[in-house]
Amino acid sequence: RRGLGVAAGPPSTRQLREAEEAAPVFQYAGKAAKRKDRVFVWGFSYSGALGIPSFVRPDAGWKKPRRIQPTPYRLETEEKISSAACGYGFTLLASNTRDITKVWGMGLNKDSQLGFQRSRRDQTKGYEYVLEPSPIPLPLEKPQQTRVLQVSCGRAHSLVLTDSEGVFTMGNNSYGQCGRKVVEDEIYSGSHLIHQLKEFDSRVVQVVCGQDHSLFRTKKGTVYACGWGADGQTGLGHYNITSVPTKLHGDIAGVNIIQVSSYGDCCLAVSDEGDVFGWGNSEYLQLASVTETTQVNVPRHLPFNIGKVKEAACGGTGNVVLTEEGNVFVWGYGILGKGPNLIETAVPEMIPPSLFGWSDFSPDTRVAHVRCGLSQFAALTNKGELFVWGKNLRGCLGTGRKEDQYFPWRVTVPGEVVDVACGVDHMVSMVRSF
Amino acid sequence: VRGPRFRKLKIGVGHRLDVKASGVFVLGIGHGNKLLTDLYNCHLTKVYTVGGLFGKATDDFSDTGNLVEKTTFDHITREKLERILAVIQGTNQKALLMYSNIDMKTQEAYELAVKGLIRPMGKSPPIITAVRCLQFALPEFQLEIHCLHETQQYLRKMVHEVGLELKSSAVCTQVRRIRDGVFTVDDALPRTQWNLQSIQEAIRNCQLKVETELEKTL
Repeated sequence: RRGLGVAAGPPSTRQLREAEEAAPVFQYAGKAAKRKDRVFVWGFSYSGALGIPSFVRPDAGWKKPRRIQPTPYRLETEEKISSAACGYGFTLLASNTRDITKVWGMGLNKDSQLGFQRSRRDQTKGYEYVLEPSPIPLPLEKPQQTRVLQVSCGRAHSLVLTDSEGVFTMGNNSYGQCGRKVVEDEIYSGSHLIHQLKEFDSRVVQVVCGQDHSLFRTKKGTVYACGWGADGQTGLGHYNITSVPTKLHGDIAGVNIIQVSSYGDCCLAVSDEGDVFGWGNSEYLQLASVTETTQVNVPRHLPFNIGKVKEAACGGTGNVVLTEEGNVFVWGYGILGKGPNLIETAVPEMIPPSLFGWSDFSPDTRVAHVRCGLSQFAALTNKGELFVWGKNLRGCLGTGRKEDQYFPWRVTVPGEVVDVACGVDHMVSMVRSF
Repeated sequence: VRGPRFRKLKIGVGHRLDVKASGVFVLGIGHGNKLLTDLYNCHLTKVYTVGGLFGKATDDFSDTGNLVEKTTFDHITREKLERILAVIQGTNQKALLMYSNIDMKTQEAYELAVKGLIRPMGKSPPIITAVRCLQFALPEFQLEIHCLHETQQYLRKMVHEVGLELKSSAVCTQVRRIRDGVFTVDDALPRTQWNLQSIQEAIRNCQLKVETELEKTL
């Protein structure tokens, strides 16, 4: 019998085990814990393009405005964002919900590329800089049934693609890039006009904005273009502006195109058989493999022997394609991703897969998507990692460093990156949490 | 002349292995101590098999410590674990490039990065070059970790952090070094063979490997 005056002593193994079994079990995540969808932004924030107002107008007196966000920062959104696009100083986010608000915009709005944002101080004027994601009122006929599939942004105009009501365009139209007739001396700032485009040979499935032109790809595999054409980027056989979307011919006539891409003044298209076609500006050797001229105004087939191409992306001076095997090829001018020695090439060069995380340990790692900004490239792997390279303009690469990146570098994002949109000096990524 | 062959031996030790861990332990005898410092400066990776157990968290991250918390773990799947391991590899990859003190803007940096030969050649915090899940049977799992400049306690802490990332908790049950630079488990002598003959034979077998590795790096 143990007396009350005896000390307790160290707990025996049996006592420890009993204490352990009696301890409460905490549950942090149930079996059905879902992965959340998040949006991360980084780059130049002073234009409001990142959608975080405290970066431009700090909410406390002692805080300083943050001009550049060098690493990914989480942006709170009300809905799950399915598509995002970065323009020149502004961003569009779209969700494929059936609610009334489907598209949000932030950043520069001097040409109403984000629609009309009514100013709270003066009800007749609109905001010129939108600092946080604000809904864009689209003139839909059936707002509770139509879904927004995709958005795209150019220098000063934007395109919104819906599933049943065609394409909506807004912003600057001085070159007809919005698909409507050019009105002389039109004032774009504070304009309510959003134009709707419905006349195509079949349903539009992809919209792409170049710097001052627009491309539309339909379900049948045809490509339409409108806008500025001085570099031949409309591909219509002339160098004038076009204000009505017109079908392209040339080498893509009769070819089923499955993807188009453009961001500057050069355009690329990929067919279902894996061939690449290009037109537009070729001052940086983008199309030098077929022609010496610096402006190509008719789509030309680019005979590359790199295998079947799955996806292409055009930047300002460089282009990148992804083949079916998962290899990434780059060509053009600028920081292409193969070290500082490779500045320009007319023929595609492959970036070794070991730079994208492929190794003996993970031999099934391959690149799933490629994207292009104006002077930077981004690649997404099937493991959900994001690699960037190119000019680090105002921190747009998201690496946290100020220097340019000459070969693919991982961006640390807390989650699995599903998609990324690249702009001139900022990037937006859609991420699923672990 | 009669007497024992060796009366005094100078023995030096390679990378540390703590009390609760097991595995390959490199020793240098006599003149071999000089090679030990050279091997240390080569900064070669070491490979460990680390065993873990989900559902518990202890104060010293191993299963013999004081219990801190118990959690559920039935929501953990192999894919989630592999996703976390991919992120760990990614962040450590960046640390690898940053601590190697190579100017990222040069062509040589690009060439080394392609071949995967960029390594910190000086002091650096622990870096993990590769992780792989070998076995997964709830609540136990086993990982193979390749690392540089680490301690075994760091590996146990990593197991604990993996548990936290998966919204549960984990403790480390076993740490076993299976490779230290050029020396693998096959070269290592088990306890039954700790006699002069086997030691001499083992040294002879490994001599060539050590010399080639040293020449390659220095």
